[in-house]
Amino acid sequence: MQLKLNNFTKTFGEVTVIDGMDLTVNDGEMMALLGPSGCGKSTTLFTICGIHRMNGGDLHFGDRDVTHLPSQQRNVGVVFQNYALYPHMDIRDNIAFPLKVQKQDSATIKRKVNEIAELVHIPELLDRKPAQLSGGQQQRVALARALVRQPDVLLLDEPLANLDAKLRLEMRSEIRRIQLETGITAILVTHDQVEAMSMCDRIALMRDGKIEQLSEPSEMYNNPANTFVAGFLGNPPISFVNAQVAGGSFTFGDNTVAIAEALKPRVGGEVQLGIRPEHFGPQFGTGVTGKISFVETQGREDLYNVTLNSGGMIRSIQPAGERLKMGDAVSWGVSPEAVLAFDTSGDRL
Amino acid sequence: MTANFRSLPVILLLTIVSLPLVIMYAFTIVDTFTNTEPGSLMPNEFTTEHWRFLWSSDVGRGSVWVSTVNTFIFASTTALIVSGISLTAAYALSRLEFPARRFFLAGIIILHAFPTITLIIAIFLILQLLGLFDTLIGVIMVKTALELPFGIWIMKGFYDTVPWEIEMAGVQDGASRFMVWRKLVLPQVQPGLAALLIFSFLSGWSEFILPLVLAPGSDAQVLSTYLAYFLLDDSLEVDFNLFKSVGLFYAVPVILIYLVFQKKLMNIYGGGSKG
Amino acid sequence: MPRTSKPRFNWLGLGFMAPALIVVALFFLAPVIMTGLFAFTNMSTSTGITGGEYLLTQSNLRALENSGVSDETFETLSTTSYRVDEAGLARLAEQHNQATADEFRTLHGDTVFTARRDMERALKDLNQNRIRSTRDRKAAAELFTSSVLDERFVEETDFRAALANAGINDADHEILVTEAFTGWVWTTENVELLTSLSSSARYAMNTAIYVIFTLAFNVGFGLLLAISTFYLSPRVASSFRTIWFLPRVLPPVLYVLMWYWLTWDTGIISTFAGYFGFAPRNWMLDTATNAWVVIILINGFVGASLGMILFSSAIKAIPSSMLYASEVDGANRWQQVRYIILPQLRWPILFTSSYQTLSLLTSFEYILLATDGGPGGTTEVWALAAYHTALNNYGGNLQYGLGAAYALVLVIIGIITSLLYLRFFNFRELVSKPRIEN
Repeated sequence: MQLKLNNFTKTFGEVTVIDGMDLTVNDGEMMALLGPSGCGKSTTLFTICGIHRMNGGDLHFGDRDVTHLPSQQRNVGVVFQNYALYPHMDIRDNIAFPLKVQKQDSATIKRKVNEIAELVHIPELLDRKPAQLSGGQQQRVALARALVRQPDVLLLDEPLANLDAKLRLEMRSEIRRIQLETGITAILVTHDQVEAMSMCDRIALMRDGKIEQLSEPSEMYNNPANTFVAGFLGNPPISFVNAQVAGGSFTFGDNTVAIAEALKPRVGGEVQLGIRPEHFGPQFGTGVTGKISFVETQGREDLYNVTLNSGGMIRSIQPAGERLKMGDAVSWGVSPEAVLAFDTSGDRL
Repeated sequence: MTANFRSLPVILLLTIVSLPLVIMYAFTIVDTFTNTEPGSLMPNEFTTEHWRFLWSSDVGRGSVWVSTVNTFIFASTTALIVSGISLTAAYALSRLEFPARRFFLAGIIILHAFPTITLIIAIFLILQLLGLFDTLIGVIMVKTALELPFGIWIMKGFYDTVPWEIEMAGVQDGASRFMVWRKLVLPQVQPGLAALLIFSFLSGWSEFILPLVLAPGSDAQVLSTYLAYFLLDDSLEVDFNLFKSVGLFYAVPVILIYLVFQKKLMNIYGGGSKG
Repeated sequence: MPRTSKPRFNWLGLGFMAPALIVVALFFLAPVIMTGLFAFTNMSTSTGITGGEYLLTQSNLRALENSGVSDETFETLSTTSYRVDEAGLARLAEQHNQATADEFRTLHGDTVFTARRDMERALKDLNQNRIRSTRDRKAAAELFTSSVLDERFVEETDFRAALANAGINDADHEILVTEAFTGWVWTTENVELLTSLSSSARYAMNTAIYVIFTLAFNVGFGLLLAISTFYLSPRVASSFRTIWFLPRVLPPVLYVLMWYWLTWDTGIISTFAGYFGFAPRNWMLDTATNAWVVIILINGFVGASLGMILFSSAIKAIPSSMLYASEVDGANRWQQVRYIILPQLRWPILFTSSYQTLSLLTSFEYILLATDGGPGGTTEVWALAAYHTALNNYGGNLQYGLGAAYALVLVIIGIITSLLYLRFFNFRELVSKPRIEN
């Protein structure tokens, strides 16, 4: 079912947290709300499920206007960050709870609980208490409880934040599998770019209560709308340098980088260059000189910080090979096609 | 608290059940300054005659001012002694190793839960034997002793929250345990100490049974027994407005202290005060 | 040679404990033990508490009728005899003069007369110092009456000597000494009284009614207040909490005074009902049911506030996401309370109930102030009965021993229950060793 958020405004007392936001999530799509803490992504999620109420704008699930409905009538499934399982009920009762409050008959409840338990792979856990479960299992229970009454929308609030690294990898694909199998419209709130990129069809990157960019993961990575988006995605992060446009190249200090043909008509004067670490290195020729100021080996790859002779620093990531040392002077090149250019206010050129 | 439930029905319900109390509070204040026709609810004239007990000596038993001074001495002395003794004893129980520590801890827990009022008869006889019956000192000592397990228990709770690391650092820096207590730990429990002081003071100020039984004479009379004299003496004509004035005079310090220190006190009231 | 390390005490610990130990021992532990001791005495206003004298009265004799004392002894005790001893002579010297007394001593010193006529005749023997009128002689004879009856003896030995002097058989001395003693003695009759008196059963019954209903009100109302204020904005919630907390803070005497005003025949309920033509009545005392309702409300309004704060903080401790979850899961308010909040308050409810049970069992302050056990003893609970028996009753004869026996029952219950609490508390954690070793 399509979810449509229109001109959504939310204030807490004097503070406006979200100001006139629009968001449409297509039927069966999984959308990530990505952003640093305090950007308003959780507020948006809580508003969609009705815990918070909107101060302006409206919210539609399909054709249904749910703006003024209480949570109970919205038919939304939510997985909370700490799972919020009811500690005094066993797993079966936890999952059955949404059906029980609708006063469905016990045979139906039993059947639906068993079905959903199969789907999330926990049929053997139904008689345990939440405290006896591992984090990953609790996560699956929370998913089952959210899905059991076939909600219109599934909301996931930082679902992987409380898991260790290995489980996180496993649950990432599990959640995606379940979402695809059920075909439910889902919103994932996260501050982790890897989660957002790996699990979702599209990402809405938020800052200060506004959506900075909304696009597919690869598009967002390769084609960021501004320096914030470029800087938020990618690990190790992109490096920025200030440069002048002169004679068909970007110059900063005594360094020059060629301007791609497609970019030439759009740039001039002062610009900010965004250079991702994988686009800076000896394989791209020379032209940028500096000294290695930091070396970090990550096993398969080596990460270098190169402090430019003209000031400023660019990161580079390269396949592990001959190890350069701190203080070594280098002259490397930048892939012209991959250089991202922004104007001085940070917008993409 | 979410936007999913309306609060108006709840407010309505609470207002209805709270009405008797609010009416009692309101009329207690209003009636002390007014007169009301018999058989009527609304007051019809302003007067200060109900406060005459403050300056006239023919109302009540003895002078209200003597009782006030007695009450103040009683409440503040017990508060100071209880807090002072709790301050050291609770620290020992919380942090120091000494012989029979387990025994004392168990004892404090038992005494804390123990209903002290059952001891009143034995205490009455003991005070008679000691010759402290009908003296303020006797009541003070008894009140202190009965309040002490509670005070120690509460103070221990406050000490328990002080991080061990602070003390360890102090010991590493070469301070004795006594110095560590005085210079490092005491400042940490100051809010708790203040709360205990206020609580004990209020408890002493309101105490009724102990003075009633142990100091029934008029010399050691406190405000609670001064006021109770009006209620319990059948020969007196019932003059509620006068009674209320005395009661209000008695309760004003309590109400002020409570309203000012509400937050501080909640800690203690919630921390296992008696039913 | 390596030195073995011995565990060392920190004397600071004991020093810090000392003042508390002294005060607690003197006015807390001593009373516990003393209650146990007093319960097995017959102490009362008439026996006093320090000691006693020896005084034999007619009523004592009646009490001894079937106790094996010989008839001869009864005879001796109940007839008055006349003994010319130093005390009597001194009285005579005072009444008349020293010469008369001296002469009489030489005539009849140390003689015992069993009949008044003989005594008067002996007085006629006076030669130099005649007592002329018959009336004076009769009065003089009275000066020498010697009876063990109605005579106070401070020491036991004096009393025994008097018995011997009166010519009472040695075999009966022991029983007379016991009977004549006016001070308190050890006895188990309090326990027998306690178990045999029908009033004990009624006090126990009253106490059960009082505890059960008040507790139910406290917990139920505490829950209502805690849960309902939870659904309000903090500002509104805190005003309601203040209203409900004030009864706990207000001095009991003033608080009960407010209830007098509310319920008495000149109070507001009667006045208000008067508008609708109802005759004024004392709503607190006119029937037993009314008295109970008022007492339970008085205690309940105070007790509910404890439940209110304990339950409120327990509800606050429920993670808010759990409540959110139940709401998006579709629970309405009642379902949220029923399925999410109440199950998680199980322990606080149990704790509050057991704690209040003990304090209600033993408290009598509000009942004393409100109904004083009335009307007609219908609201007299066990603790109040102890108070009335030992410390305050209309008869004026305060039976300390019996009262202590009543109290002892509560003391024992208190000790057992407190010991149970000790098990409830996580004692092992409480006594965990200090982390700095000395």
